[in-house]
Amino acid sequence: MAVDAQIKCRNIWKIFGADPEAFMQRYNGKPTADDLAQEGYIGAVRDVSFDVHKGEILIIMGLSGSGKSTIIRCITRLNDPTAGAVEYEGRNLLKATPQELIEIRRHKMGMVFQSFGLLPHRTVLSNVAFPLEVQNLDQLEREKRAMEMIELVGLGGRENYFPRELSGGQQQRVGIARSLAVEPDIWFLDEPFSALDPLIRAEMQDEFIRLQQMLKKTIVFITHDFEEATKLADRIGIMKDGQMVQLCTPEEMVLNPADEYVAEFARNAPRDRIVSAAAIMKKSTAKTPPRVSGASVLANTKIGEIAEQVINSEVPTPVTDAAGMLLGHVDRERITKALFGKGDIV
Amino acid sequence: MKITKLLATSAIVAASLAFTLPAYAEAESDDPIIMVQNNWTSQLVLSFVVGKTLEGMGYTVEYSPSDSQLQFKAIADGDMHFQVEAWEGSMKTAFEKAVAEDGMIDAGSHSALTREEWWIPDYVLEKCPEAQNWEGLNACAEIFATAETKPKGRFVGPPADWGKNYAARIDALQMNFKAINVGQAATLWAELQSAYDRKEPIVLFNWTPNFIESKFKGRFVDFPKPEKGCMEDKAWGPNPNATGDCGAPHSGWLKKAAWSGLAEKYPKAWGVMQKIDFTNAQIAAAALMVDVDGLSPEEAADKWIAENAAVVESWKK
Amino acid sequence: MNSAVTDLGKTPSSSIPGAHSFWVQIVAMICLTVVLSLVLPFMKTWPQEWIVPIKGWVTQFFTWLDKEAAIGSLKFKTVTRSISWLLEQPLDWAEYILYRGIKARDLPAMFWIFLPVIGLSVLHTKFGMRRCLMVVATIWAISLADNVLFQFGLFELPHTAMEALGVKKLDALPWIVIVAGAGILGHWIGGWKLALFSAGCIGYLAVMGLWRDSMRTFSIVLVSVPFAVGLGLGLGIWVTRSKRAAAIISPMFDIMQATPHMAYLVPVVVLFGAGQVPAMIATVIFAMPPMARCTILGIQTVSSDVEESGRMSGCTPRQLLWKVTLPSSQRILMLGVNQVVMQTLAMVVIASMVGAQGLGHKLLFSLQQLRLGAAVEQGLAIVLMAVVLDRLTQAYANRAPGELASRETGWKAKKHFWIFLAVAVAAYLLAQFVPLVEKYPRAYTFTLGRNIDFALRAFSKHAYDYINPVRDFITIYMLIPFRDFFLWLPWTTVIGVVGLTAYWLGGIRTTLLTTGLIGFVILITGNWEQGVLTLYLVTSAVILCVLIGVPIGIWASRSDRAARAIMATCDTLQTFPSFIYLIPVIMLLKVGDLSNVIAILAYATVPAVRYTYLGIKRIPDVTIEASIANGTTPFQRLWKVELPIALPEIMLGINQTIMMALAMTAITALIGSSDLGQEIYRALPTADSGRGIMAGLGIAVIGIVADRLIQAWAAERKKQLGIN
Repeated sequence: MAVDAQIKCRNIWKIFGADPEAFMQRYNGKPTADDLAQEGYIGAVRDVSFDVHKGEILIIMGLSGSGKSTIIRCITRLNDPTAGAVEYEGRNLLKATPQELIEIRRHKMGMVFQSFGLLPHRTVLSNVAFPLEVQNLDQLEREKRAMEMIELVGLGGRENYFPRELSGGQQQRVGIARSLAVEPDIWFLDEPFSALDPLIRAEMQDEFIRLQQMLKKTIVFITHDFEEATKLADRIGIMKDGQMVQLCTPEEMVLNPADEYVAEFARNAPRDRIVSAAAIMKKSTAKTPPRVSGASVLANTKIGEIAEQVINSEVPTPVTDAAGMLLGHVDRERITKALFGKGDIV
Repeated sequence: MKITKLLATSAIVAASLAFTLPAYAEAESDDPIIMVQNNWTSQLVLSFVVGKTLEGMGYTVEYSPSDSQLQFKAIADGDMHFQVEAWEGSMKTAFEKAVAEDGMIDAGSHSALTREEWWIPDYVLEKCPEAQNWEGLNACAEIFATAETKPKGRFVGPPADWGKNYAARIDALQMNFKAINVGQAATLWAELQSAYDRKEPIVLFNWTPNFIESKFKGRFVDFPKPEKGCMEDKAWGPNPNATGDCGAPHSGWLKKAAWSGLAEKYPKAWGVMQKIDFTNAQIAAAALMVDVDGLSPEEAADKWIAENAAVVESWKK
Repeated sequence: MNSAVTDLGKTPSSSIPGAHSFWVQIVAMICLTVVLSLVLPFMKTWPQEWIVPIKGWVTQFFTWLDKEAAIGSLKFKTVTRSISWLLEQPLDWAEYILYRGIKARDLPAMFWIFLPVIGLSVLHTKFGMRRCLMVVATIWAISLADNVLFQFGLFELPHTAMEALGVKKLDALPWIVIVAGAGILGHWIGGWKLALFSAGCIGYLAVMGLWRDSMRTFSIVLVSVPFAVGLGLGLGIWVTRSKRAAAIISPMFDIMQATPHMAYLVPVVVLFGAGQVPAMIATVIFAMPPMARCTILGIQTVSSDVEESGRMSGCTPRQLLWKVTLPSSQRILMLGVNQVVMQTLAMVVIASMVGAQGLGHKLLFSLQQLRLGAAVEQGLAIVLMAVVLDRLTQAYANRAPGELASRETGWKAKKHFWIFLAVAVAAYLLAQFVPLVEKYPRAYTFTLGRNIDFALRAFSKHAYDYINPVRDFITIYMLIPFRDFFLWLPWTTVIGVVGLTAYWLGGIRTTLLTTGLIGFVILITGNWEQGVLTLYLVTSAVILCVLIGVPIGIWASRSDRAARAIMATCDTLQTFPSFIYLIPVIMLLKVGDLSNVIAILAYATVPAVRYTYLGIKRIPDVTIEASIANGTTPFQRLWKVELPIALPEIMLGINQTIMMALAMTAITALIGSSDLGQEIYRALPTADSGRGIMAGLGIAVIGIVADRLIQAWAAERKKQLGIN
């Protein structure tokens, strides 16, 4: 399947210390963890490469200090990487001049921050209109656009409030509206819901899904919350000690964790919403799969949705592809183990 | 961004005008004449007297306070224009330096004479009847002693920067005193007031004319009269082995200081300034109105002009 | 000296205070230097012939600047005088409006400056930059031509017009408008309470009969503050932008703040002459550093999310600064403004020594006339003004961001402004008929001057008999021996001990810095004796300050009621012009070292009190509760828990006390002594820049050395305690 990569990150390094460039040169651009420790440098991001596909939600996950915030700042060039390349629309972002960078940010990128980053002295309207204001758009035009965004995030009627008069969730809605005001191609969200209460967080996640269904942006989303990641992600990248340990769909991650570290995350994942029927079925051995008639489930259905049906059925439930051809069977034992088992899924 | 550019441009415009305007202004004779004001009473009243006289002639007058030493540089530079009281005792050096080096104009002397000398309140005579004479004073030096100077008497001298070396005179006259310097004239008066209230013996530096005379009863101590030989000839005076064994002159000058550009820019005012002449009595009367009657210096000046109309008229001729 | 230090070869951080070997080394150092100086006299007293005539060079430099320096045909003096002239214009206008009124002849110059500026802003918004510049250039060219070639009469136009209308003078704002203005401003910022407070305080200036002088002083404040704020803001921004600027400017601020304000006056007078403007320049120089510091702090503490969100919004660096960073740090910036205002008022009296008019000048005059009551009232007027401005700026700073930006539209959004305008116009018109509105009548003034005078004199008369024995005892048995000890100390001992302590506290760099500064600025310039005397006075005063201030601070931390009273007293003591303390002190204690020490004490105890209080108050409740649970008595709690934890904070307070004591030495010079402060004071009248500057720097050096040592100690100690 040919996937359209919107952003290509290649061998990105971000090293903190006295003279990172010289340090990288000394080790031919490939210092090991020991090299770093020995010379007192910190490798926040180490040799990370990945693509962001057009229209997908890519979630980068990791514990604090894993480098996930740094990598997003390398892509947006809020921090300059020590080495590597970020390709966007056929050019290397890391070589962009400050002026080009400002232009790209003004039209192509939007970003949402963990603690909102709202300007305390401006109203909601003026905060949302801010990215347009710095482009010198005239006042009427920018306020019209800002109002649309405010309506979009459901804050209509609060446009004259100041940030301090809003709840955390509302403030983040302002942050989201602002990041969308320039109609960006790529949308960066840096732990956008981490500072919110669990209930509000869930509400905002749903809001986010709703927006994405309407807008279909390319999204890079940072979180430390695996549940959030699995709920929202098309693909998840897990970072540890500055390195990308695994990058794949949530299901693959649950099924085939690359190492013990990923497995630890996956262990507590809500399998019912991640694993699909195909992953746990007993594959049919028939050379030419027969067409199934009667009760069956589709192969890409999540097991949470079919659980009741399978458990209530006396016989194994057939699993079919979209065309209705038999792929395998799921029985009570398999689904119970997948849903409630502690160890392997199959 | 707009604002910055705007400000920058304004600044440029303003600056360019700044260079052109003063040049223009100098041809104008209704520019204010700036009178120096110091911080003692007589000077304040008299500068108002002169200022109001000039205003009566149609000039614009402004007053600018200044330190009594810094003023001469300001006058020489034309920042200020006229000082009505320059004292020989405390300002001689700075005055003469400004005349010689910076082109300040010596606008002549007043009839008033000044004197600076050791001074005692009258009640001291009760404890030390001969104190009016330096030898008598020296005989009872001990009553002036404080913990630090014991057994020597304490002489409260002028601010150290007034250029008077009383320690040298004490040595030359072999007196049983120790001179301490104050930092400022106000300190002298605080010492005097405190001692006066308690009738405690004190001998301190003082001068005339000055408001002290109207507030405190006292007199100058007589020292050997200064004559030519005193400073050069060791043999002269009470101590055959030292120079400087004499008092200060009894009649120091009181001068007027002026900016060199006055004659050209305000010819009439310059004429008045040259003629202005105060006597000791006139100066004391002016100071008295403020220090005793409680008028403000400006009110005192009005009153003084009213009372001395003839004098003021004589300057204008 | 330094070789002895490096031989010690121990890492300084391993064991700081209480280190056994540290004291051994100090004693060894003292013995060594004392013995050496007995053998080699040059190690005891710096020989006369070794003195480098730095003072003379500095004086020559300034004389050269004043008389000869020039770029092409443009003399340096012309430049400074033009700057003076420029600064004078806003000051003139503040004066016209506040108390002087505008005479016809005052108009032309200002008119020709204001016209282009106003025209510029109108044209700029309508037609853009280029055309507006052309118009301005034309105006400028016409006025230049009129000026040089003359006589189109254009230049005189405003003047002529005004006279044609038969108006000789436009009056200044009536006093009632300014009082009302203070009230309206107070209401806008802080509601009715602040409104009444501001109007009351400003109104009282008129009641005391000090209106005109207060407005003179206020004009200077009004013009200096924006200059100082602008300059501070600019420098602060520059420092955060450029590492090189930071390396140059930060230490300069340290020196500027540690140098007594009086030392600035000398070079300012040489370069800018005497008068209102030089006084203003000195004020601006003195008041600016806190603004710069607050700017730096504000910019550095803006939350990274806010800053990054600005960058991701596509701000250019300039947009980021003006639209994101600075507005977000508004609170800290306003605190900076507050500091600037307070420092400006603190300069009022000193600035009057070089020609500032108003309250400061009047105050010095009153002191000279021994009218203490009047001086106290004039001091009080300065305090009132300071308190009002302090409350207003603090209230403004403490408002939530955006709170003052009204959501209302139309006239209501700016109702305070319109009400003020209405009051002003009404009062201005009314003033033409009712004199009471225009000027506060002299007959209604009410002063306590004579009563205060009387009370002070009675006090000094009766208290003297009790105080005098104490004075004599302290002077003879404590101060004089202490002074003689300081004067006896060989310079090698002093520098050696300082260097060694610096090494233990901060390492070799601190040693080089401190000993270097002392050596170059104080020793080889021939100021050693004055420097030591300064050190003696300050040390004596600081010891007393700590003995008095720390217990008061502890007391304040024990009772909120006491705290309120004590802090209010502290505020007043600090704003009250320090000159006023001097006279009663002299009346009670006579001219002498004790007077100096006590005068310093009155001013410099405040930080010791304040920091002790804060240090104890900031200890987490949990720590206190834990110690109570452990069964400590109140005294044990204080001695074993609170004081040790608060110690770093208290040390910073002592640091501040030292700084203030040093600053006061320049002012106590009016009493009379022979320290560095006196040197500055003596240099002022003769405009001897070298003498004044080197003495001022000498004081700054003592301050900086003390500061470095204490900071190093406090930082180490805080690290040990894990306090941030």
